Amino acid sequence: MTRPPLAVRARDLLASEWTKFRSVRSTYWSLLVALVTPVGASALVAFAFASAKPGQGGRLTDPLLPEVISLEYAVIAVSVLGVLTFSAEYSTGLIRTTFTAAPRRRAVLAAKAAVLAAVLLAAGELVAFVSFFLAQAILARHHQGVSLGHPGVPGAVLADGLLLCLCALLGLALGAIVRHTAGGIAATVVVIAVPSILGLLPAPWNGRIGRFTLLDAAGQVTALHPAADLFSPGLSLLVLLAWPAAALAAAAVLITRRDA
Amino acid sequence: MTVVIEVDRLSERFGPVTAVDDLSFTVRPGHVTGFLGPNGAGKTTTMRVILGLDTPTSGRALVGGRRYDGLVRPLREVGSLLDATALHGGRTAWAHLLAIAQSNGIGRSRVTEVLRLTGLEAVARRRAGGYSLGMKQRLGIAAALLGDPPVLMFDEPVNGLDPEGIHWIRGFFRELAGQGRTVLVSSHLMSEMAQTADHLVIIGRGRLLADTSTAALIESSARHDVLVRSPRAAELAALLTARNASVTPQDDGALAVTGLDAVGVGDLAAGHGIALHALVPRQGSLEDVYLDLTGESTEYRGGPR
Repeated sequence: MTRPPLAVRARDLLASEWTKFRSVRSTYWSLLVALVTPVGASALVAFAFASAKPGQGGRLTDPLLPEVISLEYAVIAVSVLGVLTFSAEYSTGLIRTTFTAAPRRRAVLAAKAAVLAAVLLAAGELVAFVSFFLAQAILARHHQGVSLGHPGVPGAVLADGLLLCLCALLGLALGAIVRHTAGGIAATVVVIAVPSILGLLPAPWNGRIGRFTLLDAAGQVTALHPAADLFSPGLSLLVLLAWPAAALAAAAVLITRRDA
Repeated sequence: MTVVIEVDRLSERFGPVTAVDDLSFTVRPGHVTGFLGPNGAGKTTTMRVILGLDTPTSGRALVGGRRYDGLVRPLREVGSLLDATALHGGRTAWAHLLAIAQSNGIGRSRVTEVLRLTGLEAVARRRAGGYSLGMKQRLGIAAALLGDPPVLMFDEPVNGLDPEGIHWIRGFFRELAGQGRTVLVSSHLMSEMAQTADHLVIIGRGRLLADTSTAALIESSARHDVLVRSPRAAELAALLTARNASVTPQDDGALAVTGLDAVGVGDLAAGHGIALHALVPRQGSLEDVYLDLTGESTEYRGGPR
């Protein structure tokens, strides 16, 4: 049999994974939560800041803060979607069918990652921009808002959307590593949320260690006024990319070593 | 004849447990080959190695002369069903099959076709989680057929099927073999395989016990004996032993005789004026042969009563 070109085989696997992704309800539930929660939450946070009276504290230090805070809620929903993309196949045993149909397991991992990344990047940017405009509309009425044309703002909002995509990929990799839905979700929460506790370390160690954590790095990239004791936004973006990259690399190694 | 599936000195150990132990056999096209053994004999492990899901400790398994993980678009060469319940319950049969088909560049019309072949058209748009085990088996068989492959492997496909389904699947396997395909079907039930397979590979504790045609197996090791009842059994037993027949007294006083057929036993008794109350020639069933073969290698068995 003649060997079909790489592009054809890649297209086949992408089509297959796209069919799987769109044919289960958990996809739509997770996306709904990931879309609705941050939009609603950022409006609520913006409203709370906007209505805080001068001199009472709780004033807005960064006009992008409502969005940063609310996206952290969506992070969990998209990570769970990422975990499920792999763990559901392991827990049902479907993974054996998948790997007999496509014995090149890393290609399967790549196809799953590509489908998930494409959908979550689109969904993430949609959420980021809708949240931005909504929050700023509320803040603007109290003269605390900032426009999209303001220097640094477009990059920060784009980074918000990217954050959701990267967390989904991190979840996918952990789902492939742990091979179990509940365990994968637990692992994701540990990897994303627990390191933020390091921010409670006494200075200067909170910053020295905290800058390597996913959420602090995300905060640097998505804030208009980055903190001084952490990495620069550029370096923080690298830290942000390194987390899912490292997890995907580990998954790629383990996936071929273990029996399916 | 061409060899299509080739298992060559295959061993698979999981820690201290040896699942497959230096196993070699070949499977040829045009037949339904039964892959038989008690639970835990290593059937599933062997199939998983053939399909590239497990890496063997030593030895190799080839399909059409190649390792499975070297196959491009493998579903067009090997169709398999390991576990019919391995489905995402939330996905419809249509979506399940479509995703599998797309991964091997197989079109939608073939998905419709295999749904028709397995009688699932009417339920194709229903979520598979609600299917009965029998329907899941059909769906698994549909997935195996997607690539119209020359080689098919099924692990315990009869489990969960109702009598009508069992009848259907037997005919279906024979039809596939009749088209010149290689069909390997595993089972732990000899009675099932006797009616479906024309060649048998029997394993126990990971080792090969027999690799033979079904007919030859029945022929070679069927136990022929004659069951005799007589009010003067002890006298008859002495006469039979004198004729070099071997006599095994049964619990109920009957005698099981080998080495002399029913005619010989009857004539002998008549010649000595011994009345016979029963004279029954017996043939061992395939089930007995199978139990004889695997008796030593059953991994789990009930204790003495």
